[in-house]
Amino acid sequence: MLDKRLVIVSGKGGVGKSAVSAGLALLAQRQGLRVLAVEMGSAGGLSAHFSTGSLDFKPREVKPGLHAMHMVRSKALLEYLSLQLRLPGMGRFGAFARAFDALATAAPAIREIITIGKVLWEVKEDRWDLVVADAPPTGQIGSYLRAPLSISELVPTGRIRQQSEWMQETLSNPDVTQLVLVNLPEELPTTETLDTMDWLGRQHLVADPLVLTNRVLPELSDTSAQRGRVGEMALLHRSLWSEQQDWLDRVDDKLRIPYMFGLFTPGEVAARMSDELDQLR
Amino acid sequence: MTATIIVTGAGGVGKTTIAAAMAVKAARAGLRTLVVTVDPARRLATALGVDDLGDEPQPHKDEPALWAAMLDASASWRAVAERHADPEVATRLAENEFFLAASEHFPASQSYAAADQAVTFVQARAWDLVVVDTPPSGGGIDFFTAPAQMADLVGGRLLRWITGGPLPGRRFFYDRAGRPMLRLADSLLGSDLLERVAEFLLDLRTTYDGVAQRGREIENVMRASSIVVVTTADPAPVREAVRFYRELPQIASTPEAVIFNRALPDSWMGVKAPAAASAEMRRLAEMWSAETQRQHDTRAEFSARHGAHIATVPWSATPPNDFVSLAELMDKASDVPWDRLGVEPT
Repeated sequence: MLDKRLVIVSGKGGVGKSAVSAGLALLAQRQGLRVLAVEMGSAGGLSAHFSTGSLDFKPREVKPGLHAMHMVRSKALLEYLSLQLRLPGMGRFGAFARAFDALATAAPAIREIITIGKVLWEVKEDRWDLVVADAPPTGQIGSYLRAPLSISELVPTGRIRQQSEWMQETLSNPDVTQLVLVNLPEELPTTETLDTMDWLGRQHLVADPLVLTNRVLPELSDTSAQRGRVGEMALLHRSLWSEQQDWLDRVDDKLRIPYMFGLFTPGEVAARMSDELDQLR
Repeated sequence: MTATIIVTGAGGVGKTTIAAAMAVKAARAGLRTLVVTVDPARRLATALGVDDLGDEPQPHKDEPALWAAMLDASASWRAVAERHADPEVATRLAENEFFLAASEHFPASQSYAAADQAVTFVQARAWDLVVVDTPPSGGGIDFFTAPAQMADLVGGRLLRWITGGPLPGRRFFYDRAGRPMLRLADSLLGSDLLERVAEFLLDLRTTYDGVAQRGREIENVMRASSIVVVTTADPAPVREAVRFYRELPQIASTPEAVIFNRALPDSWMGVKAPAAASAEMRRLAEMWSAETQRQHDTRAEFSARHGAHIATVPWSATPPNDFVSLAELMDKASDVPWDRLGVEPT
């Protein structure tokens, strides 16, 4: 994953997308890469893992070599209009930006192209070796990945359409972009992961996604009967483990992250996640 | 009088299961109970007897006091159009490409449809208790703000932003020579996109009065409901639960309780395996007692910071997948404030 330019991390809500994104960004940073981590979901999801307070749209260095930013659609739009389309004096066009934002609510591919577009512009920059996007959940990721194509269908001409073409190329280039789907060995996340894989397989928008299963319990080899509390723990552990096997068998996952016991803070979780990812390399 | 419990929380914490189990408990306590659920896991849908049913409430085959309905949130905007627009406009909207796109992607629309449908059941006065499981889209809090967001959307805010002035008539969009903003939009987006969007928004606006009035009814029912927040002790859903405690008092009402699902028994704290046990078993005891301690401390902190009533549902290996295990789930729960939720303990 670290030899790509863009890693997009998605998965069902609650599976640990932000922890995986943060762990990956920290690992890349430890390898000496210049990294940008982008928080695309609700504010605080990713930033909590860096223990540095809330993030802004403008990337901020949270560790040496690691910058992080929070995606704000209206700011991404203004930046897009002024920098990429070189429209002069965007300050005066505040009303236009609002109107455009309103338009984006009604024509959703436009809304999504603004934010995924911002991520892709950053990939194009020489400032970063790796961009890690803590992306929207699997329920929405399809409309983001498909946004460039949707724009091509929706808008027959115009400058936005031209740009949507290189965006599509960047997303589908396996040397540049890697999609990671975070899964849990449980019914609903696994069903959603399989549905997403199936949809992606038919759409050809990105190269093969990598499935990472989070919170995998270790197998107990000691089968001796235990008494008291320890016996209760072993009983719960064995039955949870056996339930997990049912779901693990259904997905062709390349990476597994063990269940992290007794960790309190998102910062601890991210540091541990980065160690676990390092061991998998 | 129909009491209402709204069950909310982050995705993946077992919200749907707990809503179903609460409904089973209430039905067994003698209340005619309807559980309204969105997108349940297949095994749970089977347990409730709704795996192949639409959004019409159906009585459970083994428990006649329990009814269940499964909502199809994707049919949402079509229902709005059919209910609040002229038949001709409704047909035009249903075929409009932006209407279809917006209904799929405007997260509040799914929440609005779910809330609208749930409130219809509450207003039917056919049940003593309606338990509403909230859809996961838009991060939970969306369910409570959806009526206002919907009214805002169809009410022409977008149109006013596009035109920058008072609400325009149709002709406005065909007279763009003197309007640099519209010319600019054209050059970016290509020829007629703006016009097509505006046509859609003008049609949508005709539903405003109906949507706004219905929105107020929905908000009234929400304010009169008991809210229960479900979470696990993991940092991400806890952060979401904190948000409910901070924001819901202004939007709807203060939650009655937060239910920590997948709770481990406090008696596991500080447990060590006997010295004679294998290294693996000593490690096992270490891991699970650390996890129990973490859960305990997380709950204590939540209670201290937010003055929340804390209830727990124990962690079971197999999620409840039949009627009996659903019924048992709430028997194993601790400290659920049944009296405040309108369900007398049996």
